Amino acid sequence: MASLQGYVDRRVLLVLQDGRVIVGTLVGFDQKSNVVLSESKERVYSMEEGVEEIPLGLYLVKGDMIVLIGEIDDAIDEAVDLATIHAEPILPIRY
Amino acid sequence: MLPLSLLTAAQNKPMLVELKNGETFNGHLVNCDNFMNITLREVYQTSADGDRFWKLKECYIRGSTIKYLRVPDTLLDAVKEEQTRAREAGRSARGAGSGGGGGGTRGIGGRGAPPRGRGGPRGAGPRGTRGRGRG
Repeated sequence: MASLQGYVDRRVLLVLQDGRVIVGTLVGFDQKSNVVLSESKERVYSMEEGVEEIPLGLYLVKGDMIVLIGEIDDAIDEAVDLATIHAEPILPIRY
Repeated sequence: MLPLSLLTAAQNKPMLVELKNGETFNGHLVNCDNFMNITLREVYQTSADGDRFWKLKECYIRGSTIKYLRVPDTLLDAVKEEQTRAREAGRSARGAGSGGGGGGTRGIGGRGAPPRGRGGPRGAGPRGTRGRGRG
């Protein structure tokens, strides 16, 4: 059975259906994959300037909206200088 | 920690709710249910493009239309504390010597007891179609 239990108390990265990328510490989840993130930040990507991190705090994201949840390797993540990253933002899902 | 326990603990607290259509609602949580349907009081509604605002005395939001909720940071510690208190209370209620085995917030009794209680009467009841003994 797939479960998020192994991700609890770890830093995770969420991609939402609207293209947003949110990083935070997974503090809880439920059967519908609703998740609670603490100390969360949105990472805003653009081609013009480096990645901007917007602090969001304590966040409850509905499972409906989540496309993926990935565990962050802190060592690798900290080694990356986000300000130097230029990338196209992820487009929202369209039906 | 379950998302719904956080939400129930957020009653009377300020929060920001964004809907799937991009509209946002800022207000104080009045009530919520297991579907995450919520009612807010003293609400500022913002259109998806962010250039129109409405002030609402109270509003009801269907849980399925919500994208995310942003709640006060302080709530996390409050809920964690409450859960430890509940665990402690459960442990002492069950008796000190019983070695609770880390049953978490959902007590051991809660999981074990109901099937035992209901199992008997249901099997023996009028709906029991598996007449194994006679066949």
